Amino acid sequence: MNPKIERIIYIGIIVVLAGLLLSFGKKDLQLRKQIPLTVEELYKKLGNPKINIQVIDVRPYEVSEEEEDEAEDTDYYSGVHIPGAIPLPDCDESKAPEKALPQISPYIPTVIVSKDGDPEIFKKCSKKFPFAQNLKGGMVAWDEEGYPEDEGEYEPPAAGGGGGCL
Amino acid sequence: MSMTERILFWLGILILLIGLIGMKADISKLEHQAQQTVQASSEGGEE
Repeated sequence: MNPKIERIIYIGIIVVLAGLLLSFGKKDLQLRKQIPLTVEELYKKLGNPKINIQVIDVRPYEVSEEEEDEAEDTDYYSGVHIPGAIPLPDCDESKAPEKALPQISPYIPTVIVSKDGDPEIFKKCSKKFPFAQNLKGGMVAWDEEGYPEDEGEYEPPAAGGGGGCL
Repeated sequence: MSMTERILFWLGILILLIGLIGMKADISKLEHQAQQTVQASSEGGEE
């Protein structure tokens, strides 16, 4: 066979296979978004230093003094939150505390934490975070399982990074 | 076309095929999980 033609055939096969691999990769990402992460899985991931993951908390950052008596701790970030979680209320940068913004990275695996795992807010957020997964049951489920929690204002990690760690 | 070039092409094809098979298996697993999630949420909604 003519070497030129043979080369073209090989390159053609490689291009087709690479295209298929890419489309499979996209499908894989889409499917991963559909499957929520359980609090147990998140706890294990946060405890593993080899896994780089960021936790984005989309609940309101704080509540007004009048609302504070009626609100439960799981209703807002400063009430109680997953250690290392980055506040991004409503997935809106304008509502996030200024010191949290530099810690947010859209291109690392992300877990979205709402009060009860609301799929609507997750849908909104997953447009900004292509590698996002929803936390099933949200902060309420995390609280009920008795996993570690922090309270108070957001403090960025001293040595950069954006993830939560336990 | 040299033998080395041919071997390199086949190696590339083999690696891509292994990647595709692995990815396909992963997708099947995820599809199963997604189906279970949908079923669980619809059952939860009915209650």
